[in-house]
Amino acid sequence: MTKTQMTRKDYLLDQKQKGRHIFGVFPAQYPKELLWAMNVVPAEIWDPPVEITAANAHLQPYICSVVRFGLELVLEGKCDFLDGFLFPHTCDSIQNMASVIHDYIGANKPCYFFYHPKNPHGKAAREYYVLELKNLMRSLEKQLGPLNPDALKQRIQQGHKISSLFGEFYDLRAKGELDVGNGEFYEQIRRGEYLFPDDLIPELEGFLARNKGKGEKRLMPVILSGVLPNPPEILTLFDELGVRVSHDDLLIGSRRLLVPPSNLKDPFKQLAESYFSMPPCSTKGAPIVKRREYLLSLIKATGAKGVIFNVVKFCEPEWFDVPNLTDELKKRGTPTLVLDTELNQGLSGQMKTRVEAFVEMIS
Amino acid sequence: MSFAQKARYNFMKDLGAPALMWLRQSQRKKRPRKPNPYLGPPLKCAGRLREIMTRHYYLSRFSKGAKPVAWVTSGAPVELLRVFDFYTIYPENHGALCGAQKKGPEICSEAEKKGYHPDLCSYARIDLGHAFSGKTPAGRLPRPDLLFCANNICQTVLYWYKELSYYWNIPLIIFDTPYNFQDIREKDIEYMVCQFEEMIPELERISGCKYSHDRFMKIIGIARESASTWGRVLATMKHRPAPISIFDAFVHLAPIVSLRGLPIALDYYRILLDELEERVAKGIGAVTNESKRLMWDNIAVWFKLRDWSLLFAERGLNFVAATYTNAWAETIHYLDEMSPFESMARAYSLVVLNNSLNYRLKLMEQMIRDYQVDGLVILSLRSCKPYSVGQYDLRRLLGERLGIKSVVIESDMTDFRAYSEEQTRTRLEAFFEALEV
Ligand code: SF4
Ligand code: SF4
Repeated sequence: MTKTQMTRKDYLLDQKQKGRHIFGVFPAQYPKELLWAMNVVPAEIWDPPVEITAANAHLQPYICSVVRFGLELVLEGKCDFLDGFLFPHTCDSIQNMASVIHDYIGANKPCYFFYHPKNPHGKAAREYYVLELKNLMRSLEKQLGPLNPDALKQRIQQGHKISSLFGEFYDLRAKGELDVGNGEFYEQIRRGEYLFPDDLIPELEGFLARNKGKGEKRLMPVILSGVLPNPPEILTLFDELGVRVSHDDLLIGSRRLLVPPSNLKDPFKQLAESYFSMPPCSTKGAPIVKRREYLLSLIKATGAKGVIFNVVKFCEPEWFDVPNLTDELKKRGTPTLVLDTELNQGLSGQMKTRVEAFVEMIS
Repeated sequence: MSFAQKARYNFMKDLGAPALMWLRQSQRKKRPRKPNPYLGPPLKCAGRLREIMTRHYYLSRFSKGAKPVAWVTSGAPVELLRVFDFYTIYPENHGALCGAQKKGPEICSEAEKKGYHPDLCSYARIDLGHAFSGKTPAGRLPRPDLLFCANNICQTVLYWYKELSYYWNIPLIIFDTPYNFQDIREKDIEYMVCQFEEMIPELERISGCKYSHDRFMKIIGIARESASTWGRVLATMKHRPAPISIFDAFVHLAPIVSLRGLPIALDYYRILLDELEERVAKGIGAVTNESKRLMWDNIAVWFKLRDWSLLFAERGLNFVAATYTNAWAETIHYLDEMSPFESMARAYSLVVLNNSLNYRLKLMEQMIRDYQVDGLVILSLRSCKPYSVGQYDLRRLLGERLGIKSVVIESDMTDFRAYSEEQTRTRLEAFFEALEV
């Protein structure tokens, strides 16, 4: 079986057999390159296809489904083959879920926590980020042995390569020069949530070679904002309605993938510089002005006719930003649609009708 | 700051506010409350507390232009702002006030009209609703010159204050306190100290005042003393019968939240403590027939405070401990004039909500023992993820380890649209049965 044909689980098991360590990583921002350099395959846990049953005994119904699905996966024993967990400090719900798993349920495997600064403005935050990276490295070293500094440099280079390939994906799509539907695009993007860079890079290159230059320029361009493109059926609906997501402001998308490269010598400082120059994100405490400007720049660059905010139900970081962002966009003549989404629930009739009506309005 | 506004503020402070207090008091004397057979005599201090808080909100109306005004989160290290003479307003305290006066849904809906989702924290919705509509039972709140936010209680405050900052185009200072997944680390302290250093020039610029280290040390001393006196107030509930209940403590918490670092808060808690010690000596309880003692986990349900204090008192149940009221006594003792910044970093980042759930479990175990608690009421608050995520396991583990009986009730602290009287009553009845009361 080729890597492309393997399921996520098969791929991860195959990697494990090859001697790599597999870590379950919860959303959202973390230093992938450091994990790769320590021979760890980070397998991100966002919206696994499980049914929430066991997690109901641990979490109230008003907690977002990313957290509920993640915990369910752990409780069902589907993470038993993993060698560790990494919990980035994304929001209150992830923070407490990390503690529930580590302190109350017992993960039976090493749990690491990664705190990224929420005060992104000062020098203190940058220095802290570097120290936090080193702290994570030292903790991982206790389990996995010493980090090879050359390996880190090499993985950072691979990280740059991946970002530039994703950058190319996004640019071509923006120009209507990528011959893939919305679903296929995000399927490919999301394979980066678990493929090791040695496998991801050739796969992305192959994808580009196959699909470059034949895109459908006339499709209606819109920007997709939110955490992730779920339910996936919404992407199929866009295809059916002749909508091209011309760019996104998704947490699994441009906010994490389009990482500007850094030329600093010190690899830790390099990682820090890249982190602080990523597009603005609600989970990093980005000011509204920056998010507004970012969205406006995407609209301008891609000629988008509207913005769809596909917001995960109960996601506080996102829901707080939505009113001001929609308001500002409307003031500038860009129509917006806000969807309140439960993950993996398919496309409800109401959601479908709202999307159809929105597309009709902007057409 | 203008001279005229300062003169007006001083006039109101020296004459207007005392006149208002006098008027209120004389009106109140005319309608004394009927004693309740299940509750102990009301605290004599209650009048003084009312006076202090009314004066605080009343004077705030005249503060704009006379002093720099800051809106501050409940867990923020306000001691530093006091050096620059900021008039501080606590939107969470204001939210509680709106909740107690049953104004939550009305003011929240002003924020909802602007697109803020009803699932968001209701303190935030009340505050934003007030910002958009001006609605408040407090008369009028001064528009801030600065927003000061610490994420040691939740990340929500960060999202919420960002909105205010954007809406009013005013500066926001964030004090970022890394979450203690395990023990606090030296580098966390250093990061927080560096943030203080970065803040000072900004605070000088906004307030027009120079930083004074001597003043800061004095304020640190007052804050520590106030918090430790507050801690002693809470500790009186270790006595049987407890001279106050947690329902009282929820109310008497206001000065330590809103006026921390000011002499008035310390003076008040000294008076309160004297009164409680006298009650202990005389065997006067908050509940006339205290038979079982309970612990509360989470923020208060402000719109049910009076109803529930009666409901429980009728059965001889008294709440003697709460993680929430304890939060302002728990770590402020770290404050130390000799190392003000480091100690402040420690004091503010070690609060219960910024620590792992293991910490909370141990803290609750200790409190259950110290306060001889027989039962636990866990409030699951849809507004508050950091307080609520993990409570189901907390309940299970405390039950397994200590055999403590408990109940989980669902509500919101101010928005009674998210509260079901029927469901709560059913759960509480079952709990009372289990406690055999
Ligand atoms: S969807 Fe939102 S609330 Fe849920 S884990 Fe992600 S950032 Fe946190
Ligand atoms: S109620 Fe909870 S979420 Fe809301 S401000 Fe307080 S700590 Fe934060």
